[in-house]
Amino acid sequence: MKKYYYWIILAALIIVLILLPKPLIVSPTVSTIITVLLGLALAGVLVLTLRGHMIGRRTVFLFIGVSLTLPFFMNYRMPIKVSPEVQTLYDAIAKLPPGSKVLAAFDYDPPSAPELQPQAEAFMAFAFKHNLKVIIMGLWPQGPQQADMAVTKVLQEPEIRAKNLRYGVDYVNLGFQSGNEFVIQRMGTSFSGMFPRDIYNTDYDKIPLLNGVENFSNIDFVFNLSSGQPGTVEWVQIAVDRYGVKLGAGNTAVQAPSVYPYLSSRRLTGLAGGMTGAAEFEQATKEIGKANTYILSQSFSHMVVIAFIIIGNAALFVGYRKSKQKGA
Amino acid sequence: MVALLRIAKSVVFISSLLFAISILPTHSVYSQDAGPSSSGLGSITVKAHDTDNDAGGSITVEWDDPGYEKLAGFKGFLILRAVMPSGGKDSVEVAPFGARSYDDRSVSDDNTYSYSVAALVNGEKLMSAPSMQARSSKQWFDSRLTWVLILGLIICGAVIYFIESAKRGTKLFLRRIAGLEAIDEAVGRATEMGRPILFVAGIQDMDDVQTIAGLTILGSIARTVAEYDTKINMPVRASLVMTAARETIKHAYVTAGRPDAYNDDMVHYVTDEQFGFVAAVDGIMVRERPAACFFLGAFFAESLIMAETGNSIGAIQVAGTAMPAQLPFFVAACDYTLIGEELFAASAYLSGEPRQLGSLKGADVGKAIAMIVILVGVIATTIASAWNSESMLWIENLLRQMFSTG
Amino acid sequence: MDSTLIGTWLAALLTLGIMSFIYKDNLYYKICEAIFIGVSAGYWFITYFWDSLYRIAWIGIVHEGRYVLLGGVILGAMMLTRLFGKIGWIARWPLAFIVGATAGLKMMVYFTTNAMAQIHDTVYDTVTAFGGGDLYNLIGRLVILLGTVTGLVYFYFSKEHKGLFGGVAKVGTWFLMITFGASFGYTVMSRMSLLLGRIDFLLTDWLKLVK
Repeated sequence: MKKYYYWIILAALIIVLILLPKPLIVSPTVSTIITVLLGLALAGVLVLTLRGHMIGRRTVFLFIGVSLTLPFFMNYRMPIKVSPEVQTLYDAIAKLPPGSKVLAAFDYDPPSAPELQPQAEAFMAFAFKHNLKVIIMGLWPQGPQQADMAVTKVLQEPEIRAKNLRYGVDYVNLGFQSGNEFVIQRMGTSFSGMFPRDIYNTDYDKIPLLNGVENFSNIDFVFNLSSGQPGTVEWVQIAVDRYGVKLGAGNTAVQAPSVYPYLSSRRLTGLAGGMTGAAEFEQATKEIGKANTYILSQSFSHMVVIAFIIIGNAALFVGYRKSKQKGA
Repeated sequence: MVALLRIAKSVVFISSLLFAISILPTHSVYSQDAGPSSSGLGSITVKAHDTDNDAGGSITVEWDDPGYEKLAGFKGFLILRAVMPSGGKDSVEVAPFGARSYDDRSVSDDNTYSYSVAALVNGEKLMSAPSMQARSSKQWFDSRLTWVLILGLIICGAVIYFIESAKRGTKLFLRRIAGLEAIDEAVGRATEMGRPILFVAGIQDMDDVQTIAGLTILGSIARTVAEYDTKINMPVRASLVMTAARETIKHAYVTAGRPDAYNDDMVHYVTDEQFGFVAAVDGIMVRERPAACFFLGAFFAESLIMAETGNSIGAIQVAGTAMPAQLPFFVAACDYTLIGEELFAASAYLSGEPRQLGSLKGADVGKAIAMIVILVGVIATTIASAWNSESMLWIENLLRQMFSTG
Repeated sequence: MDSTLIGTWLAALLTLGIMSFIYKDNLYYKICEAIFIGVSAGYWFITYFWDSLYRIAWIGIVHEGRYVLLGGVILGAMMLTRLFGKIGWIARWPLAFIVGATAGLKMMVYFTTNAMAQIHDTVYDTVTAFGGGDLYNLIGRLVILLGTVTGLVYFYFSKEHKGLFGGVAKVGTWFLMITFGASFGYTVMSRMSLLLGRIDFLLTDWLKLVK
């Protein structure tokens, strides 16, 4: 087929997608049929592999793309069980009495937003509904901007809008400060030393919420959202071990395994790891958001990956058998 | 044996006590007794002193309870503070049920304070007499971390000892790292096929020790490359790494007696942008099709992209990094991986440099201490819990003291 | 017309351009990649300029009188000398300062948190589990204990891995590989989540096929 035909097909597909009725949600029956078809397709690939017909990389990519995309159109909610580490995190935040001051450290950037933004929104919604005072800061430049997006979205909720929360009284955004873990170290002595002004250039002393907040000893809880370095590890090493801060964290799935040792040694009070952790956190706080929508697609893609691991190993054994036969 | 252990235990206890007394702050004061309270119970005795092991700005208030908590209508203990000499009282905190001490962290080192504690019973405040004056101050040494200092000195001392031994010419034993054979095999394969070698020393700058380890191994590879006239291509992300790598390869060529074969373009700077760099490396792999790819240094998310591209061109790949999050990718996609400290061990083994060898041996001392302490600790603590053995209890207490960090 | 329409379409086309690489390297992908590299380099330059040079150095020194920051500015200027061949050696001094200061801060932090605290908790959590009555927790703690000790043996370089010692090191290798597998699985989840975010954008914000 000539090359430009592919572009025509792609353009036609995009036009069809634009013209389709929206939102496009299929019934549970159709969802089940789609799931079964996907399973049969994978079984077909396994049979082909066992017969010696190896599939290419692009077929794998196609299956992954389909398994991630189709669940968006399915009207089906996955039951989610809250794991002990997320429950611990939720319990620690829920126990805080109204008026408690919580430091929210946003240490991530937009690439990690699919995993961490749902956690940020669930946390901010819960904090505002339970009258916790939130002090936002970030060790990554885009962190406070992500926080701002979460706050803006959450403030649109009717229940929270009715509370008439005020910036500077109920929440404040101190912005980004460069220096990585040195910032945490310095905050142990003086917050205003590291953040002389907030994100809108208001002096620290002029912000009502920050009256009497000198250092970590005036903070009741620290909630850290982190996708790399500096992040949760640095917060544990300095804020928890040196200043006795109570810390809970939400991490990307890449970082979560390296943070589990701190969880098991109870230096970390709860951990929400990756998309699953985000979905569980949303369930625990009852602030159902994007993570619960994504989790079905995540599960489908994981099943496809597991299927291809089996198919790949089957291909390996078929290869061994063929080379043995040739050798014999 | 038991008697000796008892004596040792007593010595440790007495010396710890003497040490603790010697570093206690001197602002430890007690309250004067008040007269009998209206409820018929005794008075509350209040002590206030500078909080130990802090950077100042905190006074610890301690009090006893002659029985107020058991009274019906008891609400808590109200802590009151007066700045001396003006004496005006303001309330600091209501301590919860069961509390007998409170750290007041909102004081200034420039002022002197006096504290009172009032039991809140049925709307009444049953006051204690004020404590004598206390002032906060900072301590230069956190005595809770004494064992951290001692163990740190032991391990650092071991490192220095082994470095000095290596400098004096003592042969330090290091077990053979299996990955080094894979490196030799990869270089040999590239030479046979007449195709170049690709070397990436990580994406961090020279301040990262993994980059230094990678460049040390580069030195060894460059010697073989120079001898057999194999081409080497080394893209870098940091200009200081480029300078250091050029010096390393040039030295190898000069040592091999082939200075004319060296070309500065073997090592070239690409970009500081992480994914821009990896896109360039992928392009080099796809175009030049090196026979061997070496990824030795610090990597982040781009590691899998490079390893998969190298896999797709059929190159033999040897990787080494101490980044735990990237090791799984290298292990899955490369032919051989130097895991974590094996990278530094390989670097020390190949270079024979005293500082690297000594550091590795000193780190081994630390690992040995950790292994022994964990095993001895578990056994001793289990026996102490199950059979109440005194000697095991003593070991348990000692280990708890040593490894408790606050 | 929605004011974000152009931005949404631009983002969608760039997303599709980058994704087209999974089929084959092509001109569309190269254009999108070049835009990404250029924009990200420019973004980071501006961020560092305004956040570090202007907000900390300029305002700190000129407006707030914090002259101690001049030390940092001088060290930073010394780093730039590496661009010039003859005086490039000067750049080693600020590098030595950074290495030394970071080592000083991190050495005891890592030693306390990552070594001593972990040893303490490995020992006492295991012993607590013995008396806890929870079999699941006890098995978990014993596995952690075994993995810790055998992993340390694997990374012990002063003794040849032979005999019993070699056997224990082999067990350590198994623990490491299982850990890498678990970590790989977590990373697959993470990468899928990133792709999900983009697909959600395409379907929700661009095509508006789903809410």
